[in-house]
Amino acid sequence: MGRHVGIVGVGQTHHARRRTDVSQAGLVREAVDRALADAKLSMDDIDTVVVATGPVLFAAVNQPEKWVVDAIGAQGKSVVRLTSGGGAGFAGALAGYYQVAGGFSERTLVVAYDKLSEGQLQYSISTLYDPFWGREFAVGIMGFSAAYWRARMDVLGHTEEAAAMVAAKNRKNAIANPYAHVKKEVSVDDVLNSKPLCWPIKLLDVPPISDGAAAIVLSSEKMAHHSTSRPAWIRGIAYCCEADNAPERSLMLSEPLAIASRQVYRAAGITNPRRQFDVVEVQEPYSCFELNYYESLGLCPPGQAAELVASGATQLDGDIPVNPSGGCMGANPIGAVGVIRLIEAATQVMGKNETHQIKDAKTALVQSGGGWANLRGCAVLSA
Amino acid sequence: MFSAPDSYPIDLPTFHSEINLPYTLTPGRAAGTFLAEVKNRRIVASRFASGQVVAPAQDFSSTGGEEPEAFVEAPHTGVLTAFTRVDGNVIGFIRLDGCDNDFPHRILADLGDLSIGQRVEAEWDDSVEQSVLAIKGFKPAPDAPVGTVQPLATTEEPLGVIPYAMKLDYEHAYGPYYGRMFDEIRENGRFMGVRSPGSDVALLPPREIDDVTHNRTGTWKACADTGTIRGCSIINMEVYGQTRKVPYVYAEIVLDGASTRMIHVIEIDSLEEAKEKIKPGTRVRAVWTDGERKGRVSDIERFEVIEG
Repeated sequence: MGRHVGIVGVGQTHHARRRTDVSQAGLVREAVDRALADAKLSMDDIDTVVVATGPVLFAAVNQPEKWVVDAIGAQGKSVVRLTSGGGAGFAGALAGYYQVAGGFSERTLVVAYDKLSEGQLQYSISTLYDPFWGREFAVGIMGFSAAYWRARMDVLGHTEEAAAMVAAKNRKNAIANPYAHVKKEVSVDDVLNSKPLCWPIKLLDVPPISDGAAAIVLSSEKMAHHSTSRPAWIRGIAYCCEADNAPERSLMLSEPLAIASRQVYRAAGITNPRRQFDVVEVQEPYSCFELNYYESLGLCPPGQAAELVASGATQLDGDIPVNPSGGCMGANPIGAVGVIRLIEAATQVMGKNETHQIKDAKTALVQSGGGWANLRGCAVLSA
Repeated sequence: MFSAPDSYPIDLPTFHSEINLPYTLTPGRAAGTFLAEVKNRRIVASRFASGQVVAPAQDFSSTGGEEPEAFVEAPHTGVLTAFTRVDGNVIGFIRLDGCDNDFPHRILADLGDLSIGQRVEAEWDDSVEQSVLAIKGFKPAPDAPVGTVQPLATTEEPLGVIPYAMKLDYEHAYGPYYGRMFDEIRENGRFMGVRSPGSDVALLPPREIDDVTHNRTGTWKACADTGTIRGCSIINMEVYGQTRKVPYVYAEIVLDGASTRMIHVIEIDSLEEAKEKIKPGTRVRAVWTDGERKGRVSDIERFEVIEG
């Protein structure tokens, strides 16, 4: 086991559909300034930096870390850039965690961003498909995700109504989140009656396209007290991967997420996730994803996700609130989302969430990933 | 792993693919102001608290990340600090008078007429706006007086968005497994996979190592051009790069005889009808193109539902 690692400072931009007042580097700077201020540190106190973004084609800047380094005053520091599709931010946090846990850094800054207003999102994602085998028919991630959801609908009962409940819940929660930019309450019927985009996915099942950045400061136990008396300790974190077209893979569950959650739960001593977590933050780029996570993360048995969301347990006032921040439905700057979910969970267990604090939250679960099921990770944070 | 004999040909035909993407990039305040001001024939620079002046203007100092104290106007003259020739064009670094950085740009002279440290001057191109190429390049100007950095009282509003486009061409190597599969599609109009170890079902596309057991895969096997839908969605939104008219069905299909899925499309008349008719478990058959087969998955034009 490595050293204990805590999140001691967090910062994110006020996400927007399009920010034309700042460049990609300027966007990153805003999040970094806020995270350093929150941690009561300056860049001089940071040993290493991880920069995480989505695929280069999202915004046409190759090696953006060279641009970012100047903008955040990190010249001469150890800087690595990491990308892993939708899970880029989370993978960046894992890389930073390894550096501190391994004793190679006392404090590591992880900043993740995407400026999705600049490119063609779904087409860029289509280029992630095998150029020989499938790319010419790809419809970004949405066509693929909807196809998997359709398969689960019949077997696991992930109905359009259940997904619409997720969308309505998260969109309502986003209203209180000062960093979200889509803040409109919708009903389950509104979601069901919204325009089919890639049916069964409909307009209101889909998050916005956003510009945004998010940063966290990871610290060793030795240095954490300089920033806060109550860090959000990372009790376990893992991120697992599989190929796209392996045989005998089930469309029903995400095997990488099942493996990651087993590892993380063992490390964190979680034996009953439904009872032990006070709050959960998941990356649900489409509402149907959240239903799958309930099952893959063990919040309910397979086939009971629809029942779980209908019971109200995952509402803000339920016994296991999921996405009190509003999740991706409030803002979805893809590469940053893994870090945004960590920030939301960290502020909950640090007891300093300004607008939607869950009372006495001590233990939080975070999930993030890219692709439909291929890249999946989770982490447990506690005070 | 697969090791080819030394006599194996290594210069084989490739698979051509293209990525074409339009962008709307955000330059930020400093670069946006520089780009807005070139039409006034002004070179906007950033002056930092340290006294450093950087042209074109930057939002953050490259030494400590500080934001600039002010935008200033850099002179149009400077000295050449480096140069080279690329594709017949001379490019170089210019240190504008009074500035502390090297500005990369075109040099409007022959390589043989240039020397490090010589005086140069900007030549403007009035037909270009909102681009660094409004400065056509820098030409030798041995007698140009040394300019000074001037304060800027007011500037144009920074440009918020710059259109940009990328066209990327790739030549992918097939490798022996994809190579045989696409040869078979082109020559014989059939999809061939390789058997999983100890099994008669084929991995499609074929591969050398089985994903589950990590053992070498077995012999080749032709799959049928009929199959079963495992997952599907009805595409009803128009997205950049799409080649089919909406609505249509995006389907993940397992061909008979294979264990893995392929992605293809099914044409439909109406969304509501397709919801009922096309679902996981639906049987489908390939409709091949009428024209010459090219050895691509798109030699199957589409799939159609097997009625009854």
